[in-house]
Amino acid sequence: MMSRLVTARLLQALVAALLIATLCFAMMQTLPGDAAMRIAASRYGPDAMSQQLAEAVRLELGLERPLLTQYAASLMQLARLDLGYSLVSGAPVIEELKVQLGHSLWLALLALALSLLFGPTLGLLAGIRPGGWVDRLSLGLSILLRALPPFVLGLLLIMVFSLWLGWLPPAGFGSWRHLLLPALTLALGLAALSSRVTRDAMAEVAAAPYFAYGRQKGLDGLALAGRHGARNAAIPVVAYLGLQSVYLIEGVVVVESLFAFPGIGHALVHAIIARDVPMVQGTVLIMGLLFIFINLLVDTLCRRLDPRLNAWQEVRR
Amino acid sequence: MTPVLCIENLQIASAGQVLVDNINLRVEAGRPLTLLGASGSGKSLVMQAVMGTLPAGLDVRGHIGLDGQNLLALSPQQRRALWGRKLALLPQEPWLALDPTMPVQGQVSEVHRLIHRRSKHEAQRLTQQQLDEVGLQQAGQQYPFQLSGGMCQRAAIAITHAADCPVLLADEPTKGLDSALRDSVAARLRHEVNTGRLLFTISHDLDLARRLGGHVGVMRNGRLLEQGDAAQLLQAPQHPYSRRLLAAQPSRWPQRQSREKGDLVLQARGLGKQYGSRTLFEKLDIRLHRGQITAISGPSGCGKTTLGNVLLGLTPPDQGQVQRSAGIAPIRFQKLYQEPPAAFAPRQRLGRAFADLARLHRIPDRAIAALLQRLQLDEALLARRPGEVSGGELQRLALARVLLLQPVLLFADEASSRLDPLSQQQVMQLLLELADERGLAVLLVTHDAALAARTADQTLVLGAPRVRCGDCSTRETDRASA
Repeated sequence: MMSRLVTARLLQALVAALLIATLCFAMMQTLPGDAAMRIAASRYGPDAMSQQLAEAVRLELGLERPLLTQYAASLMQLARLDLGYSLVSGAPVIEELKVQLGHSLWLALLALALSLLFGPTLGLLAGIRPGGWVDRLSLGLSILLRALPPFVLGLLLIMVFSLWLGWLPPAGFGSWRHLLLPALTLALGLAALSSRVTRDAMAEVAAAPYFAYGRQKGLDGLALAGRHGARNAAIPVVAYLGLQSVYLIEGVVVVESLFAFPGIGHALVHAIIARDVPMVQGTVLIMGLLFIFINLLVDTLCRRLDPRLNAWQEVRR
Repeated sequence: MTPVLCIENLQIASAGQVLVDNINLRVEAGRPLTLLGASGSGKSLVMQAVMGTLPAGLDVRGHIGLDGQNLLALSPQQRRALWGRKLALLPQEPWLALDPTMPVQGQVSEVHRLIHRRSKHEAQRLTQQQLDEVGLQQAGQQYPFQLSGGMCQRAAIAITHAADCPVLLADEPTKGLDSALRDSVAARLRHEVNTGRLLFTISHDLDLARRLGGHVGVMRNGRLLEQGDAAQLLQAPQHPYSRRLLAAQPSRWPQRQSREKGDLVLQARGLGKQYGSRTLFEKLDIRLHRGQITAISGPSGCGKTTLGNVLLGLTPPDQGQVQRSAGIAPIRFQKLYQEPPAAFAPRQRLGRAFADLARLHRIPDRAIAALLQRLQLDEALLARRPGEVSGGELQRLALARVLLLQPVLLFADEASSRLDPLSQQQVMQLLLELADERGLAVLLVTHDAALAARTADQTLVLGAPRVRCGDCSTRETDRASA
């Protein structure tokens, strides 16, 4: 069962890699302006840029070759697991990504941890009494937080915690204090949804006949919640984490730019502006594979929590 | 002192409206009590009053005595403290009441560990012993979805054994089980009585009441119509309603006269279907004629519904073919579902469902009105939502909706098995009458052999599915809901 799951995900990763490579190539080709000039400008600074330098870049990178040749070359390179060299810095893409990905992972993990602290807790409280004041308050809060795009939310947090209260630095990198605001920005957006998912899951479990039966067996509140509530309510919440990783990955791009945090999202934005195709491709590829990996983890966890999932798949087969 | 559970002058009211009134009943050791009644008769409220699980806002008066205590005088906390210690509940439809994500063993042993505070080792030993007692020694590691309905029922009984309470409350213990399993459930409950437990059962299953013996009460509209010795009351009931209830059992229905065969509606040749490694049926030849009732019966899980769906064209057969007679519009092959609530949109008023159908198929309003009248349905019901009418009414509404499409073949899939005996009789009677009036070919799928025998012109009995290979699981599948 497990091996089938892994095989399916690996196949998915392969297809994703091919698609990402093709899409990246196509998108970079369709951007307006001359690629060689933009790369030269990024490398040597806009002031030092000249027609000669741009021509040199064009020849060096083979940008004058026919499109199909360039495309085939990029795919072949990818097949050798070679992400190539950054067109701007000249360093291997993989080296740059290692550093940036590390920073981003810390940010994402902290954001996830914070969101799990807020979201499911609030959701549980709301779900125990659907329609109660906690439920209505958390619904209003979720709508508000979710309606704000991450960059507006981030700006609001900077205003409150950096400008008014002066507790945290508004941007930059170096200590845990720099991590806190961007992580909080992401976490609030994540918690807005996971609290609602938890609330619905909890309300459903609380209304389920097995929950009533557990109570009538004589289990007290805490034992009942621990033995029959938490695990059943966690199933949809965990399953939803897979979807939330999309929000996390796209949020990282916006939030890192806003807070000048040197992570993979920040790098992606810069690479796109500089038309650094290998960097864009490498970054998007890593993000895509990360997404698939996260979903593999989520699937595995869900099967742990809910043995019925395995059985259903067997029946379908 | 021999333990006794006695209910005296019980009255349950909601906002001034009396729901249950003047109930006096008694359960003694060796003399179980079975409260019979249709849904809405108030029998569930009586059981909830004993257990202490009545919804908030209901006003309860009277006396429920156990061990010299008046249960109704206790605080909610005190009542809750009795659960699992003095009062054990056998829940209805245990396959829904067991935690779906916990192995059976854990659900038994938690009673020892968390309620009786026994040591881990002791809890393990007793759990194994109790699973052995109900024949589930191998099933401890299994999850409820891996067990059949009968096994889930036995797991729930093992849980009540773990609780080891003097009083056992059984809530519709045979609901959703086929007749073979009903008998075994009755035998197990009878065993509980013999070990000295006070057994209080609510049900609409007269067979169960007869097998349990002891004392029987019949309820309707919140009143106890009569009570008395089970054997006597079920043999010669005094109250007219009890007599009707008794006569509503399929085994006492009058035999339907065989009708002449009408035109051929469809014929199937060499039908076969496998489900994984199990062969549900093979080499079946079936001909369905207008005006004829064809019953498919057999134990649950034998493939009855699948065969019906194959004949109707909802599921392709693995072998053979189904040929419809030429010139019949496809819409005239229709199905009536087992669970009426599942056949209607839950938040839509019933009138809307009919209006949509009428618009789509250009059905005049008076045709609907006439049909509702024929099915003894009040038009005022159309203003309600599916959850606000009784199961019997909803199934008749579903029947009305299907008949508006002028079907030639109607496949009724356990269409009455979830209804109480009176509603069941009414729905089936109307279905058969209309089949005669309109020359309908009816395909009945039922696990009730008596019902098939009383109504059908031809009956097809499917056996339990055969398993081809040796290593496949051969677990019994006996849930009536398929």
